[in-house]
Amino acid sequence: MTTSLPADTSSLQLPDEPDHARMYREAGARLRSAMADNGIDALVLLNNANVVYSTGAAWPLLDAGLSHVERPVAIVLATDEHPHLFMPFREGASMESQVPADHLHPPLYLEFDEGIKKFARVLADLTPPGANTAVDELTGAMARAGARLFPGGPPSDAAPVIGAAKLVKTIDQIACIRRACRITEEAAAEVQKALAPGVRQVDLSAAFVRRAFELGATTNMLESIWQVMPDSKAEGMWTTHGDLALPLLTTERDLAKSDVLWTDVSITYAGYCSDWGRTWVVGQEPTPRQQDQFHQWRHILDAVLGVTKAGATSGDLARAAIAANGGAKPWLPHFYLGHGIGTTAAEMPMIGTDLGQEFDDGFVFLAGMALVLEPVIWEDHTGGYRSEEIVVITEDGWTPLTDYPYSPYGD
Amino acid sequence: MEAHDLDVLVLGRQANVRYFSGAPQLWVAGTRPFGPICTVVRAAREIYLNSTWDEGMPDDIPHDHLYGLAWNPMTLISVLQNIDGAATARRVGTDALSPTFATLLPMAFPKAELVDGELAMRAARRIKTPEEVTAIRAALKVAEHGIAAAVGELAPGISEQSLAGAVLEAMAAGGVTTPATQDAAWITSREHPWRRARGDARVQAGDLVALKAGVLADGYVGEVGATFAVGDADDAIRSLYERSNELWDKLIAACRPGAVASDLFAAYEAADEPLPSMPVAHGLGLGFDPPVVTPSLPDTAAEERFDPGMVLAVTGYVWEQGTGAVFSREAVLITADGPELLTPRSVTVGIS
Repeated sequence: MTTSLPADTSSLQLPDEPDHARMYREAGARLRSAMADNGIDALVLLNNANVVYSTGAAWPLLDAGLSHVERPVAIVLATDEHPHLFMPFREGASMESQVPADHLHPPLYLEFDEGIKKFARVLADLTPPGANTAVDELTGAMARAGARLFPGGPPSDAAPVIGAAKLVKTIDQIACIRRACRITEEAAAEVQKALAPGVRQVDLSAAFVRRAFELGATTNMLESIWQVMPDSKAEGMWTTHGDLALPLLTTERDLAKSDVLWTDVSITYAGYCSDWGRTWVVGQEPTPRQQDQFHQWRHILDAVLGVTKAGATSGDLARAAIAANGGAKPWLPHFYLGHGIGTTAAEMPMIGTDLGQEFDDGFVFLAGMALVLEPVIWEDHTGGYRSEEIVVITEDGWTPLTDYPYSPYGD
Repeated sequence: MEAHDLDVLVLGRQANVRYFSGAPQLWVAGTRPFGPICTVVRAAREIYLNSTWDEGMPDDIPHDHLYGLAWNPMTLISVLQNIDGAATARRVGTDALSPTFATLLPMAFPKAELVDGELAMRAARRIKTPEEVTAIRAALKVAEHGIAAAVGELAPGISEQSLAGAVLEAMAAGGVTTPATQDAAWITSREHPWRRARGDARVQAGDLVALKAGVLADGYVGEVGATFAVGDADDAIRSLYERSNELWDKLIAACRPGAVASDLFAAYEAADEPLPSMPVAHGLGLGFDPPVVTPSLPDTAAEERFDPGMVLAVTGYVWEQGTGAVFSREAVLITADGPELLTPRSVTVGIS
C-alpha cells in the first residue's frame, strides 16, 4: 500500500506458507486459555466459523439455508489439547484436519430429537458431572432437551469466550488471511481488466469465482458485490436512515460507461477470510471531482493509520477519521469505520457502531490484531469513494496485508 | 403458527426469513449466529424485518416495519419491544437461540414462554406449492447448466479446483451468483469408499470424476450431481455404472406417496449396496427442508412419510475398490401418482 505514512514492517515475521500444525496448536492454546479465564470446562461449538477456529478444519461452506443441518460440531474441553470434531461427510469430504483420529467422529444431527439423544450420551461421556458448559447456539431440539443435556445448569454463551481467543491472530492465521487476500487480488485484477460498458454484473461475479477457485479458494464467502452507485443520495434506494444503501445485490444489469462501482468480495483460504473492496469507474477515467473524492478518502485513511498502533483504542481511530472528514463520520450508519477479520469476514472489533462510544473507547488494540478499514466518502454526482484496506496492528504501528492499486483513481 | 399455538415467531435463519418475507437478502456462506432478523405477529398478521433498505420488498411489509442492521443486541431488543403485541404475547417461538438472546428476549416479550418455533417452520416448509415446485425446477436448470460447463472442460490435466470454478462460473454467468454448495468437483477414490484425493489433484484418464452443482435461485435450492468417466470406460467402470443404474431404479421406486423414508435405505439393501456416508435424501426447498434421510437417524427416517408435494434430492452412491465411485444426485417430486424426476437421469450419460 503506497500511503504517505510509513508502515511498520520490522516487527512482523510472516511465514510465506502458513504452518497449519502450529496454527492448530496455538489457536487451541488460546482458546483453552480463554476458557480458563471464563471458568468454562467445555465448549460446544455449532457455528461454522467457530468450528474452523477451534479445529483447524476447513471445508467449502454451504448456503445458510443448508448449513444448519449438515454441520460440523466441535466440543472443546479445558483439559484436552485436542478438540472433538463431529464431521458430516456430505459427498465424501476431502477435509484435512490436524485433529487426531480418536477425536474425529461421525456427524451429530442437533436439529432432531434422535440426534439429541446421541448428543446427550456423547456430552455425558466427555464432560465431568456438573461441568460448566458454554454453547454458541441452541437448536430447538437442544433447548427442548434442556437439563437432560446440561445437568450442570443452563449453558452460558460461548461467543465471548471464543471471541476473546480470536482477537489476536497467530502469525499463521495472518499468513492464511494474507494468502486469501492474494488469491482475491489476483482474481480481482483479472475482473478489473474485463470491466467495460455492456458487461453484466453477473459476468464479473462469474469471472471472479472461476479465477479465485483456480487459485485455491476454499469458499466464496459473500455474493460478490459490484454496486452501481446512484447519482445522488436522493435518487438512491430508500433506507431506514436516509443514507446510502450498501451492499445492493448483483443482477444481470449491463454496466454503462461512467458507472461508478463500489465492489466487495470475500473468499476463504484454509478457513480464513479475505475482504476486498475498491471503487471503479466503467469505461472512462475519473473526473477531477471524482479524483477529489479519492484524495479525501486517502486523507482520512492516512489520518486513521496515523494513530493506529498497539495501545490505541477504537475510539482513537474513529475520532481521527471524523476529524479528517471535517467533523462528520466517514462511514455508513449501518456499518463501521473498520472491523476485525479472521474465520469470518467481519468480526470484532467493530469501530463506530451502535455498540457505542464507551465500547469504542474501551477497546484497546493489541499487536497481532487484523483490521479492515473501510471509510466511505460521498458527494452527489461523483459516485463517492470507498475502498478497504487490511492491516495488522504492531507494537509501533501497523503493517499492510494488501497492495492492490487504487486504479483508476491512483496507484 | 396457529397449529403450534405461537403468538409470535422470531426468526434468524435465512430460509425461514425468506419463507415469510419473500425479500432477497445478502448472501453469505455458512451458518450465522442467531439474531432476530424477522418477527411475525400472528394476531395482527404483521411482519417486521431486519433490512436497512427496501430493495425487492413485498408491499405487505411497509417501511415502518423495517429496522436497520445493528451490532448491539440491545438495539434489536428495543425494536422488538416496540412491536404491537410483543408486550402481551404468551408463546414466542424462535427457530434457534443463543444463550445471550435466551436472556434478552424476555425483555421484549415479558409475558411469554420461549418455545421451539423451528418445528412449525419445518411443518410449513415440508410440502411445496406448485409455485414452489416451479421455482425449484428453475434452480435445477441453473445447476444442470453448471455441471454441463464443467463436463465441457473435463479432460486429463484439469484440476479439481478448475472444475469447481467452472461449475460456479457457469451458474453465475447463467444469472445466479448465489451457490448453495461449493464442493463442486472431485476425483473419486479408488482406495477408499468415501475419502478422496487432495483438493489440488489433477484429472487423469481412467478417473471417475464427480461433479455437483447446488444453487440458490430466487430463494429456492436446486442440487444436481453426476459422475463422469474420463477417457475410455473399461469393463469395471461400465459395470459400476450398471450397479448405479440398478440402484437408481430401486431408489426412485421408493419415492412414492405413503412410503416411509427408510424405504430408501431398503433400496440400497435390495441393490446389495452399502449405505453411503452422506444422507441418502433430503428435502429441497428454501434450504435443507424435511425430511433428512440419513443412516445416522434411523428412527427419524422410519417415522417420516413421503407425501405428495415433497421434493427430494436423492443420492445414489456405489463404489468399487480399484475403480472409484459413481455418485449422483437427482431431484424427485412426490406426486399422488408416484415419483416424478425433475432432473434428467444424468447417471445414464455418465460414460462419454
